[in-house]
Amino acid sequence: MDIITQLQDQVNTIASIAFNTFGTLQRDAPPMRLSSNYPEPAPSSTNPTEQPPDLTEQTMNMSTALVQSAKTFDFLVAALPLSDEKAQFEKIAQLEAENEALGEELQRQLEAAEEERNFLQELFELAADNCLNMKKSC
Amino acid sequence: MSTSAAYPPPPPFYKLYKDAKSGPDPPPPLPKGATYTLFGATYTTDDVLPSLEEQGVRQLYPKDSNIDYKKELRALNRDLQLNFLELADVLVERPSQYAQRIEEISTIFKNMHHLLNCLRPLQAQATLIHLLELQIERRKQAIEDIKMRRKEAQRMLKEAMEMLDG
Repeated sequence: MDIITQLQDQVNTIASIAFNTFGTLQRDAPPMRLSSNYPEPAPSSTNPTEQPPDLTEQTMNMSTALVQSAKTFDFLVAALPLSDEKAQFEKIAQLEAENEALGEELQRQLEAAEEERNFLQELFELAADNCLNMKKSC
Repeated sequence: MSTSAAYPPPPPFYKLYKDAKSGPDPPPPLPKGATYTLFGATYTTDDVLPSLEEQGVRQLYPKDSNIDYKKELRALNRDLQLNFLELADVLVERPSQYAQRIEEISTIFKNMHHLLNCLRPLQAQATLIHLLELQIERRKQAIEDIKMRRKEAQRMLKEAMEMLDG
């Protein structure tokens, strides 16, 4: 896969890791006491001894993945083989001229080879005819 | 030409192509005008990447004809990480103000994708250079091949003539 597609995919990966991270944090965050004036909430009707899920490890993993994806993006950007656009245009023009000249040379060689092939074919036919005539006369 | 009928008749220029014996087929005409309609959608004949301003997105990198793509992409990446931290901070301290952070993050992503899209023409030019180099190499090889074969044929002919004379 070319480097630009890899970079585009990496940007999309960063976005998906980010919204998964924030979404998970928002979904699993424990309730927060906004003011001391509000009463304590009633104990949960489900299992009261259930411990709230430990978010620390999950948060660490998700933030590590996010930072890692950003570092991968930086690495891919460093690997971009960029050159000056003007220099590229000049190189293309130079290569096109060289290609054109070689095309003409190739055409000349082909025509000369075709001529020689026809000449050799005539010589071969002449030789074959003479051989046949000699055999008939013998 | 009827384009909105349920079963439109074939375009009238099919008659130009029905007889294979009447010489080479005429080439298709060039499109008239700057836009054309295809299956109900309008397209332009000039394929140009629209700028961020035309798409209604704020441009975060400087407007310069010579953009240092690597530097700008790295800067946008750092901005993005900073905005993620600020979003986390806003969600903890002032949760009602998340929208502005999300908008900023969205703008940064759009800028990153736009910069990567701007790299595509450069990639096409580099591919063209590579193809031209390959073609030049192949043509040089073919010329050398033909020269060698011609020399070989001339040598064999000369030997045959010498054999006949001797």
